[in-house]
Amino acid sequence: MGNRPLKFRILELYLDEKEHWNYEIVSKIMEEYGMKGDYHRDSINFDIIELASGGMLKDVEQKVDEEGIYKKGFLLHKYVITDFGKVRGSDACLRYV
Amino acid sequence: MDLKALKKQESKRKISKGYMWALFCAVFWGIWYLPGTVVWVLNPFDEMYGVIAETNGDAVSLVVTAVLITAFNALTVMLALMVWNGVLQKFGELGRTLKEFNPCSKWFFLASIFGGPVAILGSFMAMGFIGGAFAAVAALLYPVIGSVLAYYWYGEKITKRAAIGILVIILGGITIFGGGLITELGAGEVPWIGYLGGLMAAAGWGIEGAIAGKGLDIAEPDVGLTLRFVGENIIWWILIVPILAIVGFPMYSFAFQAFEPLTLLVLIFAGITFGFCYVCWYKSFPLIGVGRGQGIGNLYGLCAIIFIFLFFGDVPQWTILLGGALCVAGSFIMFTEEAGELETLRGE
Repeated sequence: MGNRPLKFRILELYLDEKEHWNYEIVSKIMEEYGMKGDYHRDSINFDIIELASGGMLKDVEQKVDEEGIYKKGFLLHKYVITDFGKVRGSDACLRYV
Repeated sequence: MDLKALKKQESKRKISKGYMWALFCAVFWGIWYLPGTVVWVLNPFDEMYGVIAETNGDAVSLVVTAVLITAFNALTVMLALMVWNGVLQKFGELGRTLKEFNPCSKWFFLASIFGGPVAILGSFMAMGFIGGAFAAVAALLYPVIGSVLAYYWYGEKITKRAAIGILVIILGGITIFGGGLITELGAGEVPWIGYLGGLMAAAGWGIEGAIAGKGLDIAEPDVGLTLRFVGENIIWWILIVPILAIVGFPMYSFAFQAFEPLTLLVLIFAGITFGFCYVCWYKSFPLIGVGRGQGIGNLYGLCAIIFIFLFFGDVPQWTILLGGALCVAGSFIMFTEEAGELETLRGE
């Protein structure tokens, strides 16, 4: 069960410097923190959006969710951590992998 | 729908959401000046002011009474936010964030020092000594401080258009502020302590926004905001109120008298409006940036004037109307900003 703030954990997942789709991160967080339902899904996704608009993640690729793996007819986003994100991530005492 | 159109739609949705939060902030913030002004004429605060004024003079009495009012305001705001976090099921996140003191929650506690004993206390002083409309517009200058600090401290971009908008808003604020001052200078009686309160409000809120942004980067706004008010309650109820009581002011005897229906109702009204104005304010920052969030939130000055006119029947001076119009114009200059400029708010 996750014990750090959600955004800390999201940043930590991106600290591997690989690109991750939002739905991958959202489902991983939900699993780790024992969350269920659309409300939490949207709430975690909003955390990712906030991190991106704060300049810590960069939106590198988008595709339309045709099959409904996340939300049918909506955009899926792929993010990668930025230098600023790495700095903030290490400020937050996160493991730098 | 193709990818490009969806992208455009999504970016638009995000930005309009940010502006929507900021506008809600303005409305709630404007309404807050109603209970904030009314509470001064209610007991026990009215009586407290009189009692302390007899022994310590008007100025001291005003500040001490403002401390107790601000402390109660912080308490009801915190209660309103606890309910809000309960509804959003965020108590778990609240605990997790609180534990991260050094990287995160210390920024909220630091923000509460500038938000509470500087900005909100200053606002109550201005409301008590000059009036709600003045208190509201005096603080209009806070985005200057907020934007400049955010720019120098964490490199938040301010586009040319946003800068022009902020400038026009400030001109509006100065017009409103100056109008009252000139009249009072003419009459020979300037309530300086009220003006000091107005300046405290502007400086305090500007600094608070910039500091809070540092913690908000890596926290959820609903949670960060609640922690900021937990911090303010500690400052008032564990530090300042006991110290004033030890020094000899009758803080506790008047504090207990606040539990009468009408006073309590007004305080709760203040707590709800102020709590949610903060929720909206903080929610807008990650979407449109601290500078813009504060700029649109600035419409509260106009909202306050309208609400005070509607509820108290106070007709504003022409300088207030002109200044208010400038504030609206400035906000709209920022509002119509091209979406493209907002896609990345900060330098990488």
